[in-house]
Amino acid sequence: MYDLHLTAEQLEFRDTVRDFVEREIKPIALHPNRLEPFEKPLLLDILDKASRMGLRTLALSQELGGAGADNLTSCIVMEELAAGDVDIAATLAQTSTLARVLFDQAMTPEQRTRFLPQFLADDRYHLAFADEEPDPDLRWKYYRPTVVETDCRTTAVRQGNGDWVVNGVKAFVANAPIAKLIAVQVKIDPKTSGTGGVSTLLVSRDTPGLTVRDYKDIGRQAGPDGGPSLLWYHGTRGEVVFKDCRVPANYLLGKEGENALSGAAQSVQRGIPQFAAINIGIGRVAYEAAVDYAKLRVQGGRHIIEHQAIGTILADIAIKLEVARNTVWKAAWALDHPDAVARRSLSDLSLQTIAKVFTSEVLYEVALDAQECFGGMGVMRDMPLPKYVHDARIFLHSGESNSVAKFRIAEAVAGFR
Amino acid sequence: MDFSLTEEQRAWQLKARKFAQEELRPISLQRDRIADPRETFDWEIIKKGSKLGFRTAALAKEWGGHGVDLVTQALVMTELAKGESAIAKTFSQCWKWTHLIEARCTPEQKERFLRPFAADDTYLLGHAGTEPSAGSDHRLPPDDDPKAGWKLKAERKGDEWILNGEKCFIANGSVAKLLFVGTRTNPNVSQKEGTTVFLVPTNTPGLKVGRVFNKSGWRLYQNAELIFENVRVPHANLVGEVNRGIYSRGTSHPFGDFELGANALGICDAAVEMAIRHVQTRWPDAKYFIDNQTIQLKLSEMRMLTEALRSFVIRVAGEGLRLAAEGEAKTGHYASFLQNFATDVVQRVTLLNMDIHGGAGVMTMDAAADKLVRDAVIWTHNVGDSVQRMRAIRQNMGL
Repeated sequence: MYDLHLTAEQLEFRDTVRDFVEREIKPIALHPNRLEPFEKPLLLDILDKASRMGLRTLALSQELGGAGADNLTSCIVMEELAAGDVDIAATLAQTSTLARVLFDQAMTPEQRTRFLPQFLADDRYHLAFADEEPDPDLRWKYYRPTVVETDCRTTAVRQGNGDWVVNGVKAFVANAPIAKLIAVQVKIDPKTSGTGGVSTLLVSRDTPGLTVRDYKDIGRQAGPDGGPSLLWYHGTRGEVVFKDCRVPANYLLGKEGENALSGAAQSVQRGIPQFAAINIGIGRVAYEAAVDYAKLRVQGGRHIIEHQAIGTILADIAIKLEVARNTVWKAAWALDHPDAVARRSLSDLSLQTIAKVFTSEVLYEVALDAQECFGGMGVMRDMPLPKYVHDARIFLHSGESNSVAKFRIAEAVAGFR
Repeated sequence: MDFSLTEEQRAWQLKARKFAQEELRPISLQRDRIADPRETFDWEIIKKGSKLGFRTAALAKEWGGHGVDLVTQALVMTELAKGESAIAKTFSQCWKWTHLIEARCTPEQKERFLRPFAADDTYLLGHAGTEPSAGSDHRLPPDDDPKAGWKLKAERKGDEWILNGEKCFIANGSVAKLLFVGTRTNPNVSQKEGTTVFLVPTNTPGLKVGRVFNKSGWRLYQNAELIFENVRVPHANLVGEVNRGIYSRGTSHPFGDFELGANALGICDAAVEMAIRHVQTRWPDAKYFIDNQTIQLKLSEMRMLTEALRSFVIRVAGEGLRLAAEGEAKTGHYASFLQNFATDVVQRVTLLNMDIHGGAGVMTMDAAADKLVRDAVIWTHNVGDSVQRMRAIRQNMGL
């Protein structure tokens, strides 16, 4: 049964992380000295502390040394972290999700022995998954057959001794600037392998021939119209360049030509509810700030929370937060209980995509409404409100954008996919 | 109804369009990204715009201005705002208060303040109303609570008034040469009955600029904290009557009814232009665009809302002009809703533009599309959106 009694363990996770956010993250992340500048470097010291609390290895199984959190628990933790700093939450969600996918599901015992001890021992050992390439297909197509795997232009060529030589560029790879292990999607030359297709290789950060460029260092890029562009993502991202990069034969993930992270179902879909939970964390902290302020601020002869105009806004926010959290938790629970869909207890539409679209749309309204409660103060950059609004705005276009996500839902509704 | 423009209106519109395209647009994004809010202001642009007449456009010819009519004022503001909304507001803030000086000040005050205003390209105007504890109370004061509203104290000493207190979020506060300052002259009655307005040159000893606020949008428009410590103001600078401060602005000036609407329209025009250019750059092959119904529907909504806003702005300005010809400084009973409509439209249109730029899921966002959204959000905050809505309906119902 879908049961919303959180376990003692889930409650403890939530309270511990909430306390950590209040004590360690908010005083730094919400200080005007950090809020006012346009650039906000990743808070590495806080990431270290979070790692020591077990949040970097949250979803990794307990047998392998992690906390073994299921998707719902991860969502609860990510909402709390995002209430402190969205970039911290996004970075940890990525590493934690990939740890489960790579170490628990995709690696051979030999690969695990090679990489897991270092991963567990090093608080600054993060993981990345490099699939996107520069100038990707914009996926604007609706109700049309998709050409599979045309986007992978990074190649791996097998050498005489079985090693791979990788060439190509991967773009906007989450966690790339801090990752010590990167799972890379490559196209294997059918002439040398006999099978061809997209495969995944594990590449250590220090492999000769691999360079990572942080987008913050690349600077502002020209957009498609030639005008300046802003970086529009959470956490940290970089470009990964492979130039005659030699990868040992046994670092192939799964079988050759058989993509171990195929369709990205394992890795990407698992992450979707967690990123939606991060989105909720932003809205919730904006809401809490608005409620606190509405109780303090006096106008019109009473605290503004006593005015209908403000009370109604806060009620609207509370409604949106509750409903959004329900959709996200349900989507996470569905991932934790795949048989619920198989037994027709749940819709076979992508609950994760549905949760992502709904959450990003209502949480943007939530952030704007919370900002409005502050009047003129709400748009001042030494206050956290403009940051919350900006963070919520990015979610409207993050990952698969809402327009494209709706195409995919519509295709599923129509039975096209 | 005749919506055609006179030759003079058209000439001002084209002059503003040229200035916006050639001078404002090129510096807009660049100065928006300056981190220090004191440094975003650009005096060179203000001087250039002033020499072209934009600073003194609304001032009557007899005082050295250009005396352009209300429709021209709306047209010019829209064109300027299309280039840079915050600079358009820096100029129109001057129009707003020249209207007030002309309408409410004595001939002696006009002579003393309007002459130097007309002559000096760096002479900007402002109004110091909002205080740390008087935000909504400044615009929608409760009748029954003397504690609510302005606290900045003015006490009479002979021929002078001594001002002590604080103002915050004051537009042009750090760059204006002359401010209308709202003061409390009777703490025992409500804001409506106990306040008085004075003209205060900003070089008066004791008047200091505190923080310049670091806004998320309209970054090129200065907004500051002002501190008054024993600021001595001659009685001759009193506007209207003592303890009748709230009435000195009148219930409304037609200009105030369309100022923010006309500015928002300029942002909408910029957003529509950006979105169409983006679509044409991204899909030079029309077939791809025709295939993409989502983009067509978004663009269509942007145009629809923008044209509806244009009609509303021109109707309010046009009716104000017609009534002015009959000697009445007012607009229709529906006019105060324009500002709220503009708030809704400018946010929706700029967000749709952002969607079109980021609709395929991108890791970068066009910086100009982001800026227009940030500028638009200011509409919810600059006079208090729900406060303005309630004022409009109360006014409309004669309460």
